[in-house]
Amino acid sequence: MFSYQKKLQYPINIKTPNPKLAKVIISQYGGPDGELGASLRYLSQRFTMPTPELKGTLTDIGTEELNHLEMIGAIVYQLTRNLSIDEIKAGGFDDYFVDHTTGIYPQAAGGSPWTAAYIQSKGDPITDLHEDMAAEQKARTTYDNILRLCDDYDVRDAIRFLREREVVHYQRFGENLRLLTDKLNEKNFYAFNPSFDKKCFDKGE
Amino acid sequence: MTDREALLKKISTYQFAVLDMQIYLDTHPGDAETLESIGVFKRKLAPLVEQYEKKYGPLTKNANEGNNWRWIKAPWPWECEEDA
Repeated sequence: MFSYQKKLQYPINIKTPNPKLAKVIISQYGGPDGELGASLRYLSQRFTMPTPELKGTLTDIGTEELNHLEMIGAIVYQLTRNLSIDEIKAGGFDDYFVDHTTGIYPQAAGGSPWTAAYIQSKGDPITDLHEDMAAEQKARTTYDNILRLCDDYDVRDAIRFLREREVVHYQRFGENLRLLTDKLNEKNFYAFNPSFDKKCFDKGE
Repeated sequence: MTDREALLKKISTYQFAVLDMQIYLDTHPGDAETLESIGVFKRKLAPLVEQYEKKYGPLTKNANEGNNWRWIKAPWPWECEEDA
């Protein structure tokens, strides 16, 4: 089960609204490599994971991604607060505004709504781990791109924190891949699906 | 940064250290030294949370005490304090 703490994982205090920047950063809310997809990917994949390390890692990282989703929502909210119609038009925010006003909606920077097609839960831990490691790198690149587009210190500070977490999560998933393959047939990791062909796998529990 | 935000940042710093080490332990469950470090940070964290909740209201619903439902009081985490 989940419980809520009335605080962000890392503080966000943006002094200057900037609708143009908000439209770019919303991609990490509901875009192809964003935090909503990250949390649902890990929290869904964990159910069929075969090792205790993987069940723990996906539960804990999937939960941390929900913290990051909230942080991105807070950034977009603060970047779009107290805007006048002139500022909305000048910032190129009118196309978002017409559909959502200044509500926080899970979409990519280009406007496509979030879709479960962004994620996979394959039921094979080797396959899922490779997806997870790729996902962390894709999110890291997106944060690098946001940093290239953004010169507001308050925003950069939070984005740098989020970028760093992608690097750490990638490391943890890599460790899990090694721990998993250590338990498989070293001549053929792919002889069995350790989540499905359960008799062929020493769970190590 | 207000006094409230400064205290909250201290809490977040210790909480983050604990979380980062907990996720590390998921793949290194036998690392007793890390487990011990978590204990050290948790002991630093507890009095700060107590101090915060006494002064500014509950961080979790269960921490709401007294005959007043302070849980819904502003600011919420995404709000800037000066706007509230």
